[in-house]
Amino acid sequence: MILNFLNMGGYGFYIWLSYSFALVSLYSLYYFSSKQLKSVKHLEAIYSSSSLEKVVDLNSAQRI
Amino acid sequence: MFEIFRPRVFFNLANSSLFWLKLLFIISLIISLSFALIFSPIDYLQKDTVRIMYVHVPSSWISLFIFLIIGVSSFISLIFRIKIFSVYAKTLAPIGFVFSLISLVSGSLWGYPTWGTWWSWDARLTSMLVLVLIYFIYICTWNLIKNFNTAEKITNIIAIIGLINLPIIKFSVNWWNTLHQPSSITLSSAPTIHVSILAPLLMMFFTLCIFSLIIFLIRYKYEIINFRINKK
Repeated sequence: MILNFLNMGGYGFYIWLSYSFALVSLYSLYYFSSKQLKSVKHLEAIYSSSSLEKVVDLNSAQRI
Repeated sequence: MFEIFRPRVFFNLANSSLFWLKLLFIISLIISLSFALIFSPIDYLQKDTVRIMYVHVPSSWISLFIFLIIGVSSFISLIFRIKIFSVYAKTLAPIGFVFSLISLVSGSLWGYPTWGTWWSWDARLTSMLVLVLIYFIYICTWNLIKNFNTAEKITNIIAIIGLINLPIIKFSVNWWNTLHQPSSITLSSAPTIHVSILAPLLMMFFTLCIFSLIIFLIRYKYEIINFRINKK
């Protein structure tokens, strides 16, 4: 029964290949978009922490 | 009503809705794949190959619709100089590109057992290939030109010129003799396919629309944060 399902009436190669291509492409799109967002969020965190350090430096400089 | 187009509102919406959209997508994907691969009947003429339609047709619809949004957004951005519409267009382009590629590849895989050939230079297939190329040029332009304002102007023009291709794709099957069959579903008349095939098709379309929205929100967040960093 499973073999019949996979065979898809003799057209399994075309059907499974088109679904696989779609799934792989869409997953890649999701993966790379999420990865880009993560990296840019990381960069933003670095920027905000470095600007925070500048504020701390300024405060300590004022005290001196 | 136009409040939603404000970057801050949209950014907050993206933050709050992503989890629920992902959940809805997973449920919807399981249901639509079950119908597409198991429960939907085979076609009397095309047999099981009709199942490729559940990937091919929604992908084509989404790629065309996304390019329509890109074109209109580019037009608004060029005429009214509202930058956020260029960001919307830039964000949508990779999604449209992937769907147009899926449409082309799945169409080719459907074409071989149905027509006996992987590819034919007929009007529908060629105009769809042109859409893929326009998407590719559009994305490359954004990536290659580092100055935002210059890239914005050039991509706006590419998108507006690319809009001409949309009616060509849509009506190519009526204007020319093509291997590709005419549309079975139009906005102006009742669909010519049976409800047992139409229902899974619309389910898959809904699922892929949800997926597009998820990717759009992720990429939109990326573009806004990236814009902020570059400003600093």
